[in-house]
Amino acid sequence: MAETIQKKLQTELEQYQQIQKDLSKTMSARQKLEAQLTENNIVKEELDLLEAENMVYKLIGPVLVKQDLEEAKSTVAKRLEYITGEIKRYESQMKELERKSDQRREVLAALQQEFQKSQNKTAVKI
Amino acid sequence: MAEKKERENIQRQDFSRLREEQGKVVTGCQEQIQHWMKVESDYDALEQRLCSLPDKLSYDIMVPFGSLAFMPGNLVHTNEVTVLLGDNWFAKCSAKQAVNLVEHRKTHVKNILEDLHKVVKNFEARVGLTENLEKLSTGKEGFVDIREEVENEEIFTKGKHRTAHKPFSKPKVQEVFESDIENGKGSKSSSGILSEEELWARLDELEAEEEMLDEHERISFNGNINTEEATSSSEEEKEDHIRQLTHVLHNKEDLHVSNEDSGLRDCQLNGADQQHIDENDNEEENNIPTIYFSHTVEPKRVRINTGKNTTLKFSEKKEEAKRKRKNSNGNGHNFHELPKIKTPADIYRVFVDVVNGEMVPRKSILKSRSRENSVCSDTSESSAAEFDDRRGFLRSLSHDEATYSDASEGILEEEESSPSRPQPLPGAYEAFSGTVVEKDPVLPSTIPHLTITPPGLPTIPERKAEEILPEKPKEPSKRVSKFKAARMQQQK
Repeated sequence: MAETIQKKLQTELEQYQQIQKDLSKTMSARQKLEAQLTENNIVKEELDLLEAENMVYKLIGPVLVKQDLEEAKSTVAKRLEYITGEIKRYESQMKELERKSDQRREVLAALQQEFQKSQNKTAVKI
Repeated sequence: MAEKKERENIQRQDFSRLREEQGKVVTGCQEQIQHWMKVESDYDALEQRLCSLPDKLSYDIMVPFGSLAFMPGNLVHTNEVTVLLGDNWFAKCSAKQAVNLVEHRKTHVKNILEDLHKVVKNFEARVGLTENLEKLSTGKEGFVDIREEVENEEIFTKGKHRTAHKPFSKPKVQEVFESDIENGKGSKSSSGILSEEELWARLDELEAEEEMLDEHERISFNGNINTEEATSSSEEEKEDHIRQLTHVLHNKEDLHVSNEDSGLRDCQLNGADQQHIDENDNEEENNIPTIYFSHTVEPKRVRINTGKNTTLKFSEKKEEAKRKRKNSNGNGHNFHELPKIKTPADIYRVFVDVVNGEMVPRKSILKSRSRENSVCSDTSESSAAEFDDRRGFLRSLSHDEATYSDASEGILEEEESSPSRPQPLPGAYEAFSGTVVEKDPVLPSTIPHLTITPPGLPTIPERKAEEILPEKPKEPSKRVSKFKAARMQQQK
């Protein structure tokens, strides 16, 4: 009886840990995205400060490719939208993971109690 | 005790842990602040360089060649600057435009720095809080827990709650009594305290007023009935004021009864002595030396100064007498229903002043050094009947006198004294007439100063000598008017 409970505990514990890892991954990804978001915001603002005569280049690998100012602005705007969408997705993912982890935690707690009870019983028996 | 120690240990651990975390946050913030300040200084330097760069067409510089070498070279096109906008975006612009961009970035950096500073401040405050909390919980700093055990949690109310005054009553009174004083849990403890102070202030006010009025008249020798009634009613009100005020402070059922009788008031009194002042101010903390406090009801004795060196003690008899006076309507033969009074001497025994705990017979209010043999009536409601008779007689006499309004409690029979003058007044406006009757010429030896005299009559001793004899055998049990007594004596 105690052994089965122990096994159950083990499996539950592993699952819980897995969920925790996923959660932390999504959190770090989200943080990266947030940094990119702020950066792109600054770029957008600075592009607005520039005038048409300026030449805008984009670094693609080792090459500086000339870009149109308007094109650059639109590209940056699109990037911004993309980033915000990604952030939302990650957030929802995180919520889901949190919910799952809470469930696992409850199960784990119940199992632990059972385990302790069984252990006491066995101790008494012995 | 072991539990307590354990708790203390746990708390200490918790506190240390909390402080650690907070310290970490604070240090992290400090590091970030350092970083961003460096960035800002870099931007400043950059700006300066950008400003100075277009000064010359070309600069002779040592160009870094790889990572280990330099070579002499020229810096050309000094006005063209390629700016990294972020995210692999570049822009070619003039030096001045670059300067604008740099300025824009610098504002951004400044915002970040400000936020960091705020965070640091908040956390420093938090650290202070936790330190204080720690001190409190461990009782290091002399915080003392004061607790009052309340056994009975019900509200003690002797009598009903106070209600606001009716509009026709004095506005001053309304001020005092519209402040609700409630019992029980000290939800109104603060307001209770305030109203107490108000009441004491009001009490002082009334006392001062009474003193002022006392100087005018002490006895019911009012020539003007209207003024008598008005002043007496006002006096009564003041009496009631005082009584009410003192009642608020301490609970006395006799006063409560009398107040119910008084038609002037709707106020009813609380058992306001149960002010649990300290109940709400308890600090509930563990591990602190506690002082257990229990509220005891101490009836306070209030001395009302009703004139020259006299004080009145609230007593049941007074209130009864007062009630009697009110009820009686100028009846010349009021029966004093105080059970204990068999002889006139009993009156003086009953109506005494309690000065400093001692029983002092009432001093005559008209008594002054100049009139050695002047006898004045008691200032209280000692005998309604006597007062009625004397009032009727002496009112006329005192026409010439200044209108003395009643100042003290006991002199409020005026309103009862109806316009009816019970006795004919021979020579009402003469200096004196031969039929002036003293209150108690029987007791000149015992309490010479407690007899009534018409004010300003110089020949009192003469008359006293005349009237003593006929008045001596006055019946003590039944109150009769002095005139009647005199007549009876004469008849006898």
